[in-house]
Amino acid sequence: MTQVSEDWLLEIQRLAIHRNREALVDDASLCVGRGTLHVIVGPNGAGKSTLIAAVLGLIPFDGRIVLNWKDSGAIGYVPQTFPVDPTLPVTVEDFLALSRQRRPVCLGLSAQSHRTVSRLLALVGLSGLERRPLAVLSGGELRRVLLAHAMDPEPELLILDEPTSGLDEAAAQWLEETLTTIKRGGRTTILMVSHDLDQVRRIADRVTVLDRRIVAEGPVADILAGATIRDLIPAGSARWRRA
Amino acid sequence: MTGFYTWIAELAQRGVLPSDFQYPFLIRGFFCVLVLAPMLGGLSHLVVTRRMAFFSAALGQAALTGVAIGLLIGEPLNAPYGGMFGFCLLATLAMVFVKRHATLPPDTLIGVFHALTLGLGLCLLVAVTRQFNVHQVESVLFGSLLTVTDGDLALLVGVGILVFALLVFQYNRLLMDSLNPPLASIAGGNSAFLEYFFAILLTVSIIVSLKIIGALLVEALIVVPAAAARNVARGTRNYLAWSVVVAFLAGVGGLVISTKLLVPTGGAVVLAVSGIFFVTMAISRVAAGFSRLNAPERGSH
Repeated sequence: MTQVSEDWLLEIQRLAIHRNREALVDDASLCVGRGTLHVIVGPNGAGKSTLIAAVLGLIPFDGRIVLNWKDSGAIGYVPQTFPVDPTLPVTVEDFLALSRQRRPVCLGLSAQSHRTVSRLLALVGLSGLERRPLAVLSGGELRRVLLAHAMDPEPELLILDEPTSGLDEAAAQWLEETLTTIKRGGRTTILMVSHDLDQVRRIADRVTVLDRRIVAEGPVADILAGATIRDLIPAGSARWRRA
Repeated sequence: MTGFYTWIAELAQRGVLPSDFQYPFLIRGFFCVLVLAPMLGGLSHLVVTRRMAFFSAALGQAALTGVAIGLLIGEPLNAPYGGMFGFCLLATLAMVFVKRHATLPPDTLIGVFHALTLGLGLCLLVAVTRQFNVHQVESVLFGSLLTVTDGDLALLVGVGILVFALLVFQYNRLLMDSLNPPLASIAGGNSAFLEYFFAILLTVSIIVSLKIIGALLVEALIVVPAAAARNVARGTRNYLAWSVVVAFLAGVGGLVISTKLLVPTGGAVVLAVSGIFFVTMAISRVAAGFSRLNAPERGSH
């Protein structure tokens, strides 16, 4: 059994993920400190979302992923994409209640679910949108709903995959402020994938640069000082040869 | 049951109920619709949400092959349930297994099974027609109220109750899995289990509905009620309610058409449900037009 330091919530040891004999992630090891906001950056195809999928237990992998739970042991997840069929008549409150009540949502929401949904929507600034179909939400609204979904029960580990992609400046700023507030609460550790280095500089504590392997890892000020993604990846790496 | 049918017939003769209820087969048909509507209507809205319409069509074809197998192994013509359950469940498990493990798109794989089961079914039907009159098999293909027995009705009720009970426990996870499998998985749902579970429920429901709707047409009552409901529903509760109402109206409408025009029940139900679909589509268009008219005018450039 691997011993995990008290300071770490998540430890990834020699993670390797293959698809069709191609290594999507190879020999990646990293630790995510408890109560920190840890960001994984890297170019497209670097394996960032694949690594997240492994942490969530959604795909098979080699190596070890150890979670050192101390509190709720709950994981909240905001996926990168959430395609919604435009004719699907599932409302925001239906969606938020799906994981929260035993009674089928098609038979109505319990009073407790109504209260929880209202609280969650207030948390993400969407009060009053309970009855709106998911399909008519804007990209920013949908991302807020997904964050609301991820925040109940209060997660010990919150994972966000490119949460600001496709958002306008105001929505991205709101999300940054919200994540900062969640982190200050001290009960939730945040692991995020991002391609926006300016955003990472503003909100992250530590950063991991991934290009199928771990290229660099450390405090954000040390790793990202004035760098671009291209600066972070060694010039001779397979990434640029592929390009 | 005879006493019950006699009592209903007396009510019909006294004018309390429509005169068609003098006939036991119509009473049975009506009760079948009462069970079929919530069962298939309820499944329908999940089938469409989980994009399993083509899967349902393939299952209908598999049932045809199951009938042929049942008859060839000596089951009675009016109840070849062993062949149907056996072959359809096998086909379902194979389709889900291959779909989960192959890299080809799901509709392509289901297309392969669709063709395979239909081809096999047609070959076996040739052998079946050496023993039975082909018109006797037609009732399975297109549905016929005349061949529905009290045993079929009892089986339908039993399966209906079972499907409802099982679905209640897994509904939320199934819907979440349809929307976003990773989120369902994190919430404790097992995607593989849910896929097999729902496919088996669907298969069993289709098999017990075959004598009313017919193997070739059962897909309509699995898909069209939810499609019609989507035209008018807002919210999951509304979506389910409309799916069931549409299935019920189609079932009753189909019975009426079938008895008045002396056409196969399955075909009549499909005509009814298709008619309802186009009515809901028209309602949706008109409602959208009114919404646009009432919307605040926007500046143009």
